[in-house]
Amino acid sequence: MGRYLSIFLCCARACLVRDMTFRANFLLECLTSVGWMSMNLAFYLLVFTFTSEIGRNTGWTREPFFAFVATGLIINAIVQAFFMPSAEELTEMVRTGGLDGVLVQPLDAQFLLSMHRFDFSSLANGFVGIGLLVWALLRMEHAPPPIAWLLYPLTILCGVAILYSLIVMLAAATILMGRNQSLYDFWFYLTNFSRYPAEIYAGPWGSPLRALCTFVIPILLVVNVPARVIAQPFAGQTWGWVAAAIVAAGGALVLSRVIFQAALAKYRSASS
Amino acid sequence: MYDKPEGLFSSISGLFHRTSRVVEALKGVDLTVEKGEFVALLGPNGAGKTTFLKLLSGIITPTRGEARVLGAVPWQRTDDFRRRFALVMGQRNQLWWDLPAAESFRLHKEIYRLEPARFERTRDELVDLLGVRKLLLQPVRDLSLGERMKLELVAALLHEPEVLFLDEPTIGLDVVAQHSLHRFLAKVQAERQMTVVLTTHYMKDVAALCKRVVVITHGSILYDGSLEQIVDRFTSHKIVTLDLDGPPAEERLKRLGFPYEIRGPQVILRIDRTRIADVLPEILRGESVRDVSVEDVPLEEIVAELFRSEAGQAPAGSQR
Repeated sequence: MGRYLSIFLCCARACLVRDMTFRANFLLECLTSVGWMSMNLAFYLLVFTFTSEIGRNTGWTREPFFAFVATGLIINAIVQAFFMPSAEELTEMVRTGGLDGVLVQPLDAQFLLSMHRFDFSSLANGFVGIGLLVWALLRMEHAPPPIAWLLYPLTILCGVAILYSLIVMLAAATILMGRNQSLYDFWFYLTNFSRYPAEIYAGPWGSPLRALCTFVIPILLVVNVPARVIAQPFAGQTWGWVAAAIVAAGGALVLSRVIFQAALAKYRSASS
Repeated sequence: MYDKPEGLFSSISGLFHRTSRVVEALKGVDLTVEKGEFVALLGPNGAGKTTFLKLLSGIITPTRGEARVLGAVPWQRTDDFRRRFALVMGQRNQLWWDLPAAESFRLHKEIYRLEPARFERTRDELVDLLGVRKLLLQPVRDLSLGERMKLELVAALLHEPEVLFLDEPTIGLDVVAQHSLHRFLAKVQAERQMTVVLTTHYMKDVAALCKRVVVITHGSILYDGSLEQIVDRFTSHKIVTLDLDGPPAEERLKRLGFPYEIRGPQVILRIDRTRIADVLPEILRGESVRDVSVEDVPLEEIVAELFRSEAGQAPAGSQR
């Protein structure tokens, strides 16, 4: 475990050195990222000039909702910074045979393939998310209890684990297909569902979608659970959400591992 | 393998129905390499050389058959096995592109769990041997192909592998860089008693480094033996070059009955190797000769001829 941590840190260090080498690019990426996020926040502020709550009696009033958005920003920043760049590069590695070099190294291939490239500029959104969370929590009517503070990082980790598993499964599809350039697009479509409170998925279309995104592809648990833990009054029902997030994260990790290993066994390499 | 017919219509119909064919990249290959051997795998493009190296290094899994490298089944990809060999591919870059090679070496040290003192000692030894110390802090993308290949080799040898697979390491390199790599590889292999399997298209690599040559065509072994034996076994003649003072007497050359070629003041004859001693005095008697040389047929020529022959028509006894 210590060895994997030191390799992780070594890769992180090398990526930071690389990012600093192209500092203009780094700053531009930070600015683009923060700019896009600011536009989203402005849009939500605009929405709250017309309504005081998302849905009816959902509890997602302005401040809790911004805590929800902040939680999403933090989770996405972690995933975009630490896992997505490697997955995006994998497509090219499979197509050009660059994956060969990884497979001969005495290390878990999934680890190296999913965590060797980092994009630190994506963390900019995470820092803004932390600021937004503090701002929202200070203005909320109820303060989160100590148990919420304990469960919040845990459920954030569960959310990251679910998204990481999805990335790994999409990456496995890349290995099987030889080329999967729509990986990022597909990822974006999927994660789009996680960006809003589960309560909005109601009615004849919403309910099946909610069931699908909770039990089949547990994308709705990613942000909803930690956000609910920190931004909604802590009740018995919250424990059910937390348990669901833990089970979904564990199941997703196991499933993604199985799929990735099966895909690697089918790897044919590219001609040189 | 998917057979993609030409044209737009075929591409559209290919979305619904595809025809594929089975390509046997390797078949019936039976090879044993002893510890400390330096073996060259030769073959035309598509012969299966790189596939063979990929199998031996566990990158791909065969549909059937067995292989053991250092006692391990390569495609089981155990960490213990992967710590004991290295693969260098001349057409692939394994160093971090935007960073100096020193950063890749540092990562390598972590991956292979190298003790810091041992890592530094090996690295310094290798970079000094190749004369690339000043390149360590230069981003890899700014290096020439030859410089990059030298650093790729350093990275591959940092963990002191027992087996080294080299896939066309000198491809695209100039003569100076090739020569430098030859000297380096010969020295390191001899010192470490490392087992090396090399694929190449350059006969100079083979002549400089390998005693044993394996020729693969169509996924099968066509020849397995020493470099010298290739010459003895697959050519029946030698090349005699005469450097003349005046124009050659063509009538006399025709009478000798050997194939010949006139290049300015030079005459190049292909003479049966068993008759050289009888024929040479006769040739020299009738001409005003400034210089004469008797050489084997160039290796490139022999191997090219070998590649042209079908795998099934290999001369009897050429396989080990």
